[in-house]
Amino acid sequence: MLRADSVSLAYGDETVVDDLTLSVDSGEVVAVIGPSGVGKTTLLRLLSLSLEPDSGRVTFDDTDVWAVDEDERLALRRRVGMVFQEASLFDASVARNVEYGLRIRRQWRERFREQLRSVVRLNGTADAVEDALEVVGMTEKIDQDARSLSGGEAQRVSFARALAYDPDVLLLDEPTSDLDPRNTAVIESAIETARNSGIGVVVATHDMNQAERIADRVAVLLDSDLTEVGPAKAVFESPEDERTRKFISGELVY
Amino acid sequence: MTTGLASLALLAEFPFESVYVRSIIYVSLYVSIIAVVLSTLVSVPIALVVGFTDIPGKRFIKSVINTGMGFPSVVVGLLVLFAVSNQGPLGPLELVFTKEAMIMSQFVLATPAITAVSLAAVTSVEENVRDAARSLGGTRLDVALVVIKEARYGIATAILAGFGRAISEVGSVLIVGGNIAGSEGVSKTRTLTTAIQLEARQGRYETAMVLGGVLVAIVLLVNAIVVRLGDDKVMG
Amino acid sequence: MVPAIDVSMPIQRRRFITALGTGAVAGLAGCAQLGGSENDDAPGVAGETLTLTTTTSTDDTGLLDELNAPFEEMYGVTVDTVAQGTGAALQTARDGDSDVVMVHARSLEDEFMRDGIGVNRRDLMFNDFVIVGPESDPAGIEGMGSATEAFATIAESESTFVSRGDNSGTHTKELIIWEEAGVDPAGDWYRETGQGMGQVLNIANEQSGYTLSDRGTYLSQRSEIDLTILVQGPIEDGPEILANPYGVIAVNPAVHDNVNYDLAMAYIGFITSPEGQDIIDSYEANGEQLFFPRALSEDPDFQQYVPEGWSSDSAEN
Repeated sequence: MLRADSVSLAYGDETVVDDLTLSVDSGEVVAVIGPSGVGKTTLLRLLSLSLEPDSGRVTFDDTDVWAVDEDERLALRRRVGMVFQEASLFDASVARNVEYGLRIRRQWRERFREQLRSVVRLNGTADAVEDALEVVGMTEKIDQDARSLSGGEAQRVSFARALAYDPDVLLLDEPTSDLDPRNTAVIESAIETARNSGIGVVVATHDMNQAERIADRVAVLLDSDLTEVGPAKAVFESPEDERTRKFISGELVY
Repeated sequence: MTTGLASLALLAEFPFESVYVRSIIYVSLYVSIIAVVLSTLVSVPIALVVGFTDIPGKRFIKSVINTGMGFPSVVVGLLVLFAVSNQGPLGPLELVFTKEAMIMSQFVLATPAITAVSLAAVTSVEENVRDAARSLGGTRLDVALVVIKEARYGIATAILAGFGRAISEVGSVLIVGGNIAGSEGVSKTRTLTTAIQLEARQGRYETAMVLGGVLVAIVLLVNAIVVRLGDDKVMG
Repeated sequence: MVPAIDVSMPIQRRRFITALGTGAVAGLAGCAQLGGSENDDAPGVAGETLTLTTTTSTDDTGLLDELNAPFEEMYGVTVDTVAQGTGAALQTARDGDSDVVMVHARSLEDEFMRDGIGVNRRDLMFNDFVIVGPESDPAGIEGMGSATEAFATIAESESTFVSRGDNSGTHTKELIIWEEAGVDPAGDWYRETGQGMGQVLNIANEQSGYTLSDRGTYLSQRSEIDLTILVQGPIEDGPEILANPYGVIAVNPAVHDNVNYDLAMAYIGFITSPEGQDIIDSYEANGEQLFFPRALSEDPDFQQYVPEGWSSDSAEN
């Protein structure tokens, strides 16, 4: 569905990703593992269709994303959702945060009318918001001020926010690095729910245990190279590349 | 205690029902509010562009804004007078000695202040929040609106700063407006500030002080309203 | 330079009253024609605005509101009075931003006419200046019959003198007197403030100094200050040099085609008419008459229409 083909990107003199090929299909979870650094984030940003590679192609349903005009690219970009390491919620209620993606996809006149009334009471928006919050178990706090949430709660709302407008692809960049085990579990469960509903999920993580728990396929990113891509079990039990093996066994320290 | 009561009594006796007083309050508010609204519509987009884009001449614009904040207001009045005078480029529009010319002058004075404070406010919005808005499918306009909402308190402060500067203006509105009040006492271009100046010039300091009190009360009231709106999170 | 006023004011007053009697009927008839009886004949100027620039001291007396209101009603127009100070009032007219000026600085008015900007000047009214100072009168000028002598005495004794210093009518008069007295005022005792008359009186009061003031402003502040009149003006039999005549001049439409010449002439016509002059004559502040009408007299007064000293026989215009 979404595919990066031989993409490369450099910041100045430094090559960040070098000739990478990665794809994600509906209903699967791909984990990108590797040490904390710029590479995983950059790869995700390339997949989110907001960063253009220096070379290579990014295709969405076989459409070359960077070969079409801006309006079409915006439409494609809007089929992707992203969750970052930090929740970065807006200074507003939880409901307002979650419905944001839905609201901006509406026509301007309707958006203006919605702005004037209080949130989330029309056109199925309310349902979508509640459903998304239910996936992360935050429906009780729907009217609460987002800034008053704890870190874990905020991240859950952030997940709901990306989920609410029903994207085809969900990208998560180290989503649970700052969370306690309970919230981590909620997020991982939400990832599974998303996968089961047909969304293609890509999770960047440095936590190999997490990758083992949730991923269908795993990509290992070391030194701007994808050293290994394959079914999770295969990668962890019998990696083909020497570097991968060393990384997984903890020998390679970054 | 007694002096406080005495001044309150003076204020209470003040002829608020008088057409004259009401009309000069009206002119003050009319000119300042319109100028500030127009200025905000221009200043906030400028602040967004300067804060988040890489247009050429950014540094130049920033220094213009900073210079503008300290620019002597009476000089602005002279420049606007020249522009709208019969001798100037806008002469045919016959704007000299009108409220419209006063609005122009106030606009020029308020814009640097509103822009500078708004710029500080919007650039202090975390980049993560902007990234989040964009990742959720926001266009540049969507992200700009998010930034404005996130920076709303700072922008409100900016607007108040601009309003304060506008309504306190004396020299420039005197020059371009002419301090005109009709024979029945209805003000055409007389504001609270120019009326104060008139009373002081004639040595009527007590009346000037009371008018000054009214002006201060208005400024405090406007501040209170804007802060209250912020608290209610009407824009939430 | 002595202003061309008839020396014996009481005669002028009597003449005015006679003129009022005989001219009233004719004047009112004229007014009725100009004004139009009912709206169907409304004059072409109805709904328009006249911009009048004048001095702050004139406007501060409140006379203009009294004069303008009946004029506005008669013609269905609005008079925008911009009080600026003599120099600015004339400059605004030179720029074409006003339609008619009313000032009291004959030399500047003459220049205004000579430059072709002002046309159809009329004498309007007059009052006078007085020299005021502290009751203690350190320079000893009280009761002097000559203003120039009084000024010379003040300069010699280096007593504090507060000046308007702002190119106003009052300031212009003050400079004329210094010149006549052969004095170039300079030194610590001579304080130029650049302020309005009311403020200057306050400053002179605080510093126990002398100043030249128009009678009207002094009278309206008398209760709040401790200064007293030491040299009278011609209204109370003082020297002629302290006379303060007012002129009204229309802006030349040939120079600025945007000015409302018709309305300016209607205004001048009104304020120099018996009705207008009567309003001026009866205007009082604090129980005192402030202005004395001068526009009408049985005898011709050609000097009001031309720069002083101009005659067709002289080489210069």
